[in-house]
Amino acid sequence: MIVCPNCQHKEMTGAVFCSECGAQLVDMNLATHKIHTAETRREIESGTSPISPPPAVLQSWISLHIMESGQILPLADRTEFTLGRVAESQPIVPDVDLTPFNAYANGVSRLHAALKLVKGKIVLVDLGSSNGTYLNGTRLSPYVETPVAHGDVIYLGKLKLQVLIGQQ
Amino acid sequence: MPKNQDHYSLLGLPRNASQEEIRKAYFEAARRLHPDRNTAPGETEFFLDIQEAYEVLSNPQKRAKYDGTLAPEKSTAHLFKQRILFSRKSLLDIPDPQLIYVLLEYTPNVESDAPPAPPLNLCLILDRSTSMQGQNMDMLKATAIQVMRRMRSQDTFSLVVFSDRPETIIPATRSLDFGKLEARIQMLQPSGGTEIFPALESGFTEVSRSADRAQVNHIILITDGRTYGDEEKCLSLAQKAAEQGIGISGLGIGHEWNDAFLDELASRTGGSSIYVASPQDIQHVLLDKFNRLGKAYAEETKLEFELKEGVELRYAFRLQPEAGLLPIASPIPFGPILCDSNLKILMELGIKLKSPHAESVILIEGKLYTTVHNRPTPLKPITVNLVRPITQEAGAAPPPVQIMDALSKLTLYRLQEQARLEVKAGEFNRASEHLQQLATHLLAQGERGLARTVLLEAERIHQQKAISEEGNKEIKYGTRALLMAGEEKDIQ
Repeated sequence: MIVCPNCQHKEMTGAVFCSECGAQLVDMNLATHKIHTAETRREIESGTSPISPPPAVLQSWISLHIMESGQILPLADRTEFTLGRVAESQPIVPDVDLTPFNAYANGVSRLHAALKLVKGKIVLVDLGSSNGTYLNGTRLSPYVETPVAHGDVIYLGKLKLQVLIGQQ
Repeated sequence: MPKNQDHYSLLGLPRNASQEEIRKAYFEAARRLHPDRNTAPGETEFFLDIQEAYEVLSNPQKRAKYDGTLAPEKSTAHLFKQRILFSRKSLLDIPDPQLIYVLLEYTPNVESDAPPAPPLNLCLILDRSTSMQGQNMDMLKATAIQVMRRMRSQDTFSLVVFSDRPETIIPATRSLDFGKLEARIQMLQPSGGTEIFPALESGFTEVSRSADRAQVNHIILITDGRTYGDEEKCLSLAQKAAEQGIGISGLGIGHEWNDAFLDELASRTGGSSIYVASPQDIQHVLLDKFNRLGKAYAEETKLEFELKEGVELRYAFRLQPEAGLLPIASPIPFGPILCDSNLKILMELGIKLKSPHAESVILIEGKLYTTVHNRPTPLKPITVNLVRPITQEAGAAPPPVQIMDALSKLTLYRLQEQARLEVKAGEFNRASEHLQQLATHLLAQGERGLARTVLLEAERIHQQKAISEEGNKEIKYGTRALLMAGEEKDIQ
């Protein structure tokens, strides 16, 4: 038996995708865990998080450094993350909710961009956002995958993020 | 006699047929092709051909001499490449039910001696009920004429129009008088209701009259409405058509037609059902379908199989060449194999292991039958045996990329399938939730238009406890189109 990490639906052994929510159940080379958003939120609320490399236990392949507040969001356990903000009465939930970082005021769309791990390379895709996604100052065309490197600066609207890529 | 045929293929016989088999095949063909029944000019030749074939084959001396002149038979393995991929290397030794996915892929071996495009034996069945009035009818007439104009001298064409009653405008023939027939088609006026069965029967009669294994025998039904009360009769006719090697495809225009019915009709014969949203699309959809028919390499591909104890075939889907749901009972018609694309079938198997600690388990023992157009003699079937070892621990290897790719899209198709079933069962909240999940995935893949339609329907289900006919079809055929978007044209 497999329990879907996204919706807790029980699937038979051998299932590859969740039949309830469509989430991928087997991962290509990355171990499956839940995303540790709760932990990250707590850090953000207490405001104690210093700028430090993400803890290794999380096995993250990428971290996002929120330049304004100095916090670091380690992203783990999936090969694809959508970035955006949660809005009331909207069923679309991005994988990474940027609401705690003044996403609304900074012009982040509900589904703004996605970071994907494709054949060992990390790419950034704008998902047709209203205010655009900028990589090192250049605006990306929507739905075009652009490779990113360690230290690159991304603007989602006016929200400034820095990409930190782990040892992998 | 067509160049690529010999006496055996003409009668649909293997080379080692017995005298009794030859006699039976001859009488069957003679009944079908007798000049009393086939009065169209040029068709008497069919009859003379089989007459000659019988004369030679029924006489052992003549037959032996004739056999000496034939090129040696080629084996089936030479004509196809079969590839079987599993989602897992092994099954787990557990008493609980478990799943495994199997991808069957068939690559035609075209380069050896490229077959000429097989002759077509095509019947168009056009709906001319009142609802077709206006642009739909105009586009349909124009497209029907275009299709007719593309017929080559070796092709057989017939045209049936219907409303309450069918009318055979063009009986199956090889000699088309374009000018006269075009005028005939242009004069068609919409009127009346939609009675599909009598029309289908007329079309079937036309195609089966000159149906033989060396050509692509196909009926294309184009409708914008639904038939009442004769669905069952249509489906059993489709079954009969499948047995004679005649495919049926359905084109539904607008959103009033019965998609579940056309899907079923098509899947029984290995055909496909296609959604045409607006009159402007009629032309390219029909011509595209027509082009695919002309590219057929092999037809009547079907898998006959036996499920072993504890094994259940839960789902079967054709990913390529035309995405479509397949029936799960043996034999499964896979449809045609085209010259320029692989046939890909994905199956989901549920397994409940019966004997613990066994070394391996047989899932399916099957045989794949097919007819290759330029070799119409029955071919030896390809063995499809699916066996997996049983291990104590799960292997770490992820499923092959091809299976992941296909499943990621198929999962979306199945989400909407599930939502539709839930609407029928009155579970509106769950249906709405499933559609919202689907919309999230579609947005993440950049399918914004389709995602919006899905969200609208989710909202409608929530408020009005119903799904709109239009949204229903947009979503069903939209998610199906995602599967076809990745259609490869790679032939190694």
